[in-house]
Amino acid sequence: MSAVSSSGWLYGAIQRRRNRGLGGLYLVVAAFLILYAVLFPGILSVGGFSKFTQNWFPLALVTMAQALLMLNGGITLAIGPLVSLGAVIAATTMEGVFGVPGGIVAVAFTGLAIGAVIGAIVAHLRLPAIIVTLAGSFIITGVALILLPRPGGFIPDWLSNMLAGHTPVAFLLLVVVLLAWKAFLATPLGLGIYAAGDNPVGAFRSGVPVERAKIVAFALSGLLAALAGLFVAAQTGSGDPVIGTPFTLNSIAAAVLGGVGFLGGKGTMRGAICGSLLLSVMINVMFFLGFPPVAQYIAQGLIIVGAVAVPELLKSWRAKR
Amino acid sequence: MTDQKPLLEARQVFKGFFGNPVLKGVDIALHPGRVHALLGENGAGKSTLINLLSGALQPDSGTIAVDGKPVGRFSPAAARAAGIAVVQQELSLTADLSIAENIGLGAFPRRFGLIDYAELHRGVRNVCDMVGLTEPLDMPVADLALGRRQMVEIAKALFRRPRVLILDEPTSSLSAHEAGILARVIETLRDRGTALLYISHRLNEVQALCSHVTVLKDGGVTADQSLSGIDGEGLVRLMVGRETGDLFPPRAAANPGALRINVEGFSAGLVRDIGFSGRAGEIVGIGGLVGQGQEDLLLGLYGAIPARAAKAEVSGKPGLPAHVGSANAAGLVYVPADRKHEGLVLPHSIASNLILPSLGRLARNGFRDRGAETRLIAELAKRLTIKGDVARPVQALSGGNQQKVALAKWLPLDPSVLLLNDPTRGVDIETKREIYLMLRGFAAEGRLVIIASSDTPELVHLCDRVVVLREGRVAAELAGEAISEEAIVGAAMGVDRKGTAA
Repeated sequence: MSAVSSSGWLYGAIQRRRNRGLGGLYLVVAAFLILYAVLFPGILSVGGFSKFTQNWFPLALVTMAQALLMLNGGITLAIGPLVSLGAVIAATTMEGVFGVPGGIVAVAFTGLAIGAVIGAIVAHLRLPAIIVTLAGSFIITGVALILLPRPGGFIPDWLSNMLAGHTPVAFLLLVVVLLAWKAFLATPLGLGIYAAGDNPVGAFRSGVPVERAKIVAFALSGLLAALAGLFVAAQTGSGDPVIGTPFTLNSIAAAVLGGVGFLGGKGTMRGAICGSLLLSVMINVMFFLGFPPVAQYIAQGLIIVGAVAVPELLKSWRAKR
Repeated sequence: MTDQKPLLEARQVFKGFFGNPVLKGVDIALHPGRVHALLGENGAGKSTLINLLSGALQPDSGTIAVDGKPVGRFSPAAARAAGIAVVQQELSLTADLSIAENIGLGAFPRRFGLIDYAELHRGVRNVCDMVGLTEPLDMPVADLALGRRQMVEIAKALFRRPRVLILDEPTSSLSAHEAGILARVIETLRDRGTALLYISHRLNEVQALCSHVTVLKDGGVTADQSLSGIDGEGLVRLMVGRETGDLFPPRAAANPGALRINVEGFSAGLVRDIGFSGRAGEIVGIGGLVGQGQEDLLLGLYGAIPARAAKAEVSGKPGLPAHVGSANAAGLVYVPADRKHEGLVLPHSIASNLILPSLGRLARNGFRDRGAETRLIAELAKRLTIKGDVARPVQALSGGNQQKVALAKWLPLDPSVLLLNDPTRGVDIETKREIYLMLRGFAAEGRLVIIASSDTPELVHLCDRVVVLREGRVAAELAGEAISEEAIVGAAMGVDRKGTAA
C-alpha cells in the first residue's frame, strides 16, 4: 500500500494505462508513416510536413468532434454540413466590418450554438442522436446553401497563407487543440462525458449532470466541426456550401479505426486521433500510388471492417485457447 | 436511540408504475448510530423505497424528510448534498475509468476547475484502505472481478463521507472475507453516528449487524420494530405473512407417466456431466444458489446453447435438440426469466403477444385468420384469468400478469415439456398462487414442468422432485418427503446432509 505520494503520480499512471490496447494501432500508424516517407521523402522537409499535416488537420478535428459524441454514447451525422456551414460563414463574414477576428468568432459561435441546440434536443427530449443529427444535417445544409448558393465568398490571402502555406501552423494548432482536450478531460465534466456514455444511470446516481454533459459534448463537437470548416475555407480560399459532405462518414470511419466503440464510454481520444492520421495517410498513399477512385473506396471500406473485425477475432481466438 | 431525531424519513409515501401501485403508504425513519434492516420478498417494493430515499425517484404522494424537515423536489444531487449515499445492486461504475476516478466521480476535489488528482489520491487511498482494496488505484474497473467492483462501489459511497448510508444487497457478490470487512466497516460507521439502512436476503447477516427492522410486504409495512427478541423464523413469518399451505396447490398423487426427458453425461455451459430425467405429469424443480448452471441446464435441453450428452432421449427421440426449432417441434417450450427482454414484446398488446407463437399455425393460405386469432385470445385470457382489455400494451400489466402472458402464449402449441426459468421472480403473492395452480394443472394434463427457481419454498411445496445444482453438478436429488428447505439450502451451500452447518 503506497503512502500518499506527490501530486501527478496518480494522474500519470492513469494516463499511461490509457495507452493499453493501442499498441497495435501505434505500430500500424508508424508503419504507414514510414512507408509514406519512403515513397515520398518530401514529407521530411518543412514544406512537405506542412502540406501533409494540412491535409490531415480538418479530418483530425472532425474525428475529435465525432469521437467526443461516440464516447458520450451518441453519434452525429451533422459533421459534414457543419464543416460546410463553417466554411460558408467564414467566407461571407471576413470582409465585413469585424474582419477576420469577427469571422472566426462568428464561425465558433455558430458551431457552439448549433451543437448546443442539437444536444439540448437529444438530452431533454430523449430523442435518438442519430435521428436528430440527421434532421439537423438537412437543415444546416439548407442554411449553408441560402447563405452562399454557389462557391465563392472571400478569405484574405494572408490568412490562407498562414494556415495553409509552407509553415506547420496547422500542426501547431492541432497540438493546441489536443492540449485543450487534455485539460478538459481533467475536469469533472470531461470525465463525466465518459461516464455518462458507459453507464448513464450509474453516472446520474453518482451525481454527474448527465444531461449537461451531453449538451456540452454536442456543443464542443459543433465547435470543432465548424472550425474545421473555417480551415477548409482558408485552404481553398473560398466558401463552398457542400464541401464538408465527405467528412461525416470519414469522421466515423476514423473514430472506429481508432478503437472508439459505438456504445459509449469505450475508446480514447488519442486512439481516435491516430485513427484519423491512419485514414489520412492511407488516402494519401493510395492517391499518390495512382489507385483509381473506385479501388480507393473499396480498400478504405475493407480496412475499416478489418480494423473492427480483427480485434474481435483475436479475442475469440484467445478465448478458445 | 429513538430520542434522537431521524436523519432521513419517508412519511406515508406512495409510488406506482404504469398504474400498478408498488408502495402503498410506507413509513421508515433512519436514526443516527443505528443499522436499520429493510426486509421483504422480491417485488415487495424495497428498491423503489431506496430510490425514493435517494432522490432517484419522486413519490406520487407523501414526503421525504431530512433532519425532520420535508424536502420539496428531492433529486440525487439534493440527496448527496444532504449526506445520503447509496450502494446500489446494479453498479454505478464506468468500466474504462480507473478505480480512483470511479470513486471520485460526481464528487471530485477540484483545483482551478480541474480535478485535483493529488487530493483525490489521498481521499481514495483512505477509503480503499478501509474496505481492503489493495489494487493499484489507476487500474481500470473493467479489469476487476465482480466482487472487487462491489467493493469499489462501497468505497465510492464512503468517499462521500455520508451521514446516511443505504446498502442494497451489498454482499450478494462478495466473498466471505470481503463480507467480513464490510461488516467491520458498517460497525465503525455506526459507532461514528452514521445512519445505515441495510437490505439483504441473508438473515444471519441482518441479525448480526442490525438492531431495528422494517419489513415490507406487497408495498406495505408489516413490521417496524426492534430486532431484539426476533429469530430468523419470526422474520420470515413477517415477510411471508401467509400460511404456505394456502399459497401452494395440493400435490397430486404421485403418478408419473412416460419418460419425457432422460439425459446422462449432459454438459452445457456451466453444467458438467450430469444425469437428469423427467416424466410426464411431474413438476421437477431445479434449485441452488444463483448462477450454478440452472439456466444453462434449461437452455441446453432447449437447444439454445451448445450441449452434449453421453446418452440422451427427448420426447421419445434419441439425441438432444440441435436448435430451438427442433426443440419446439419435439414439444419443448422455454419461458425465460427476463420476461421484459426475452419473453415479451412489451409495447405490443396483450393479444398480439399471446398469439405470437401461433401466428404461423393459425394462418390460412399464408394470410392471418383474424377470426381464429380472436377466438384463441379469448380462450387464453379466460384460462389465465387475465382481466380487462387485451388490446392494452403488455407493459401496462403488473410483473405477475406479464409472466402469465409469457407462459400462456405457448399453450396453443400444446407443449409436452415446459422449461421455466424463475417464473415467479418479482411476482406478487396473489399472482404467484395463480401461476402455481396453472403449473399444477399443466402437470395434471400430463405435461412435464421443469422449473428453475431461486425461491426455496416454491421448490419445497410445488415440486414433486427437486434437483439441486452446485458448481454445475448435481449436489442432491430430492423427492417426496425428503424435500425440505433445510435439505435444499444445505445441498446448495455444500453442507453435508447429516453434518453440521458450515
